[in-house]
Amino acid sequence: MRTNYRINSGVRFEMFTQDQLEELFWGALHVLEYTGLDVMHEEARQILKKAGAWVEGTRVRLPNYLVRKSLEMAPRSFTLFARDGNPENDIHIGPGRAHFGPGPTCVQFIDIETQARRPYLNSDVPLVAKVVDALPNIDFCESLGTVSDVHHDLGALYEFAGMFPNTSKPIVAWSYDKYDSAGIHEIAVAEAGGQEAFEQRPTYVHYCEPLSPLITTSESVDKLLFAATHRIPLIFTPCPLAGGTAPVTAAGIIIPAAAESWMGLTIAQAVQPGLPFIMGGVLSVMDMSAMILAYGAPELSLMMAGITELAHYVGLPLWQTGGCTDSKTFDAQAMIEGSLSCYFSAMTGGDLTHDVGYTESAMTGSVFQLAAMDEAIGYTRRITRGIEVNEDTLAVDVIHNVGPNGHYLKEKHTRRYFRSEFWYPNLHDRRNFEEWEMMGRTTLKDRTIARVHDILVTHNPSSIKPETEQVIRKVLAEAEARVRA
Amino acid sequence: MSEVLAAISTSVIEGNLNDCVKLTQEALAAGMAADTILDNGLMPGMDYVGVEFKAGNMFVPEVLRSARAMQGAMDLVRPLLSATGASMTGKIILGTVKGDLHDIGKNLVAMMCEGAGFEVKDLGKNIEPDAFVKAVKEFEPNIVGMSALLTTTMRSMEHTIKALEEAGLRDKVKVMIGGAPVTQSFADQIGADGYASNAASASEMAKKFAKA
Amino acid sequence: MSAILEQLSAVVIEGDETKSPGLVQKALDEGFTAKEILDNALVVGMTEVGIRFKRGDMFVPEVLMSAEAMQTGLGILRPLLAASGAEMLGKIVMGTVKGDLHDIGKNLVGMLCEGSGFDVIDLGFNVAPEKFIEAVKQHKPNIIGMSALLTTTMRSMGHTIKALEEAGLRAGVKIMVGGAPVDREFADRVGADGYGSNAPAGADLAKQLMGAA
Repeated sequence: MRTNYRINSGVRFEMFTQDQLEELFWGALHVLEYTGLDVMHEEARQILKKAGAWVEGTRVRLPNYLVRKSLEMAPRSFTLFARDGNPENDIHIGPGRAHFGPGPTCVQFIDIETQARRPYLNSDVPLVAKVVDALPNIDFCESLGTVSDVHHDLGALYEFAGMFPNTSKPIVAWSYDKYDSAGIHEIAVAEAGGQEAFEQRPTYVHYCEPLSPLITTSESVDKLLFAATHRIPLIFTPCPLAGGTAPVTAAGIIIPAAAESWMGLTIAQAVQPGLPFIMGGVLSVMDMSAMILAYGAPELSLMMAGITELAHYVGLPLWQTGGCTDSKTFDAQAMIEGSLSCYFSAMTGGDLTHDVGYTESAMTGSVFQLAAMDEAIGYTRRITRGIEVNEDTLAVDVIHNVGPNGHYLKEKHTRRYFRSEFWYPNLHDRRNFEEWEMMGRTTLKDRTIARVHDILVTHNPSSIKPETEQVIRKVLAEAEARVRA
Repeated sequence: MSEVLAAISTSVIEGNLNDCVKLTQEALAAGMAADTILDNGLMPGMDYVGVEFKAGNMFVPEVLRSARAMQGAMDLVRPLLSATGASMTGKIILGTVKGDLHDIGKNLVAMMCEGAGFEVKDLGKNIEPDAFVKAVKEFEPNIVGMSALLTTTMRSMEHTIKALEEAGLRDKVKVMIGGAPVTQSFADQIGADGYASNAASASEMAKKFAKA
Repeated sequence: MSAILEQLSAVVIEGDETKSPGLVQKALDEGFTAKEILDNALVVGMTEVGIRFKRGDMFVPEVLMSAEAMQTGLGILRPLLAASGAEMLGKIVMGTVKGDLHDIGKNLVGMLCEGSGFDVIDLGFNVAPEKFIEAVKQHKPNIIGMSALLTTTMRSMGHTIKALEEAGLRAGVKIMVGGAPVDREFADRVGADGYGSNAPAGADLAKQLMGAA
């Protein structure tokens, strides 16, 4: 046996030196301490003041010890559980583990039957959830759209009600307001079997968004307080645009983003010490011609890598971004941008990477982009898994036994490892030309569409309890009554 | 076109606020009419900027500089325009809708519209439907422009149009909308008169509406 | 089908070469003929392996394990088959062509052909045209199978076919070719009778050439 031998568990990407990380860290603390943020929520200002913050009108400044104390309280590692107890669908957040899932709130959707772009509908939600449930490399669920054909205040609630029965993978839920949040939580608690059971095995994460630059909005705090009070793991992620709502430089955008997220962290930890907190945000460039947040820009991956390293440096998991594109359709641009950002995100160990399946700069959701990225993530994960080096994998004895001009196909060593050492594609084609021709000369797009259709016909997610179905109906009926009143 | 007017155009295109103001002062001092400076100096400069932006040769920060130079000159020219009775192209009120605090795009549209000769009343951000209604009554614009960045706030545009209808003001104004998540089909769906996909095309659309 | 033959074909599919000889012996003890055991257990198992491989549910190392399980069983049956004069599906002579030392693919085709009920004579690798001719004269096969991995050695297939023509033996045999650089167009150009794009396709082709599939 080898002793004192360090195993490199996977391929990782590191960009910053220790000095640079310290500069970023103290840069963000400086902004929180000297510039401060506008916190547009009276109760939150009171909570922060009591915790030791300086409050002047709406402006809140945090002494650096308070932020460091809050960082200390939040866990680096925790588990999000599958609602049906299937351990394969649990997400263990922790060092070196990258997870992937779609994003929310696209206005448009690529129709699954016709592949035409059209508004996102309530009937799309279960289909997206089913596809997520079936894809092996997609770990958590979001809906890829804002439901357009229900009451305009209830889109988020209908979304959760449609996703929850159709996937057992953990869900990341957003909401318009605290009423949505309460309805969503009621559904999850019903399935878990009570609030305490939920606290021990949380099945969803609550997502809220502050505003760049440097504003903690009233709605985001309402939702944050709901999550903190009910011990729901929390994502608090700003979405600054370099050159627009944040400095144009990559280092300069990381600092306010961290400050905006850590203001949420500080409120959350003051209310619920130890609450699992996932740091944001989504960082990219504002394209200076198209005026859009570019979802396929190399700067997105680069800036996200930077903020991920900072998050890990301070001991927080990060809400990463990847698998998305500015392309309008399933083309080479979509695959290049989506695949490279997945690869980069995995290389940073991005804890929860969302927006897989976004096209048209987050305007249009596509399960086809999602399913193709499932393949790219599988590919990527084989690389980040790295090379295991030990006596058995070095195979010196096997090499000796086979000798010159033998082959390894019959070796027990080969049989032992060929399934785990190699990644087997689901969508990529490796057949020879004639077989490919015989099978109809299909492209990646053809095979992706076929796979999605096949999943929808053959895949059956585990079902929820009949009581939970009743709770869902009740929650929706109550919400309808509330908005009609 | 005189040399000084060409120089004013150039200063707008280059986004040189000091030159633009100084040249405008000199032209006015030399007795040039304010509407001549606007029509033949400032506006051709901004038109050129709009064309170059569309072609991808100029970028947003540069357009903003040009708009600022133009505005500096407009501060000198505007009082004289009303004094001589020369009319502006039209009046616009603009605002980012309720729930949305993003105003970069809306500000850009405001500057481009001013550059096109409009009198612009910017209501700011997070504007409630009632605030739009009140501003229309007070300011009597030809056009109401609404902006939203978020997919979750754009629905407020529909509420505003409804509020204008209920106040009996819908027929008196053209409504144009824009912002990242907004599309032509959304504009049609909520009954807006027009949708512009970027700031330059917004000011062009405003010009069309004002002529109609 | 009887329980013992079903069990034997399952062992072939699982690729357990330690169990197949025992089961073959047991089947013989129960009174099945060698030919019945071959056709109704070993060939049935290998056919299923071919299907699973094509579908992507089994991989080459597993197919090899199955082929080995089949062959250890066949080792017991072979003398009995010869003694009883049982008719095999056909006889194949195969080899990797001159200049080429790669024989993994060819071995796999050989085993799958045996698994289909063929009598297979494997000439090995780096087989010169005159060696093929000698083997044809000696074994009188129905089919010749040639394999090449390299783009630089595949032309040797053409040389071999020409040599067979010159020796007046071409008309008496069917020729099938395969290997990574080989395609149907090349097969047509050198005057082969068929081309198999992978090992199960090679075994299927052999059956077709015999008019058995």
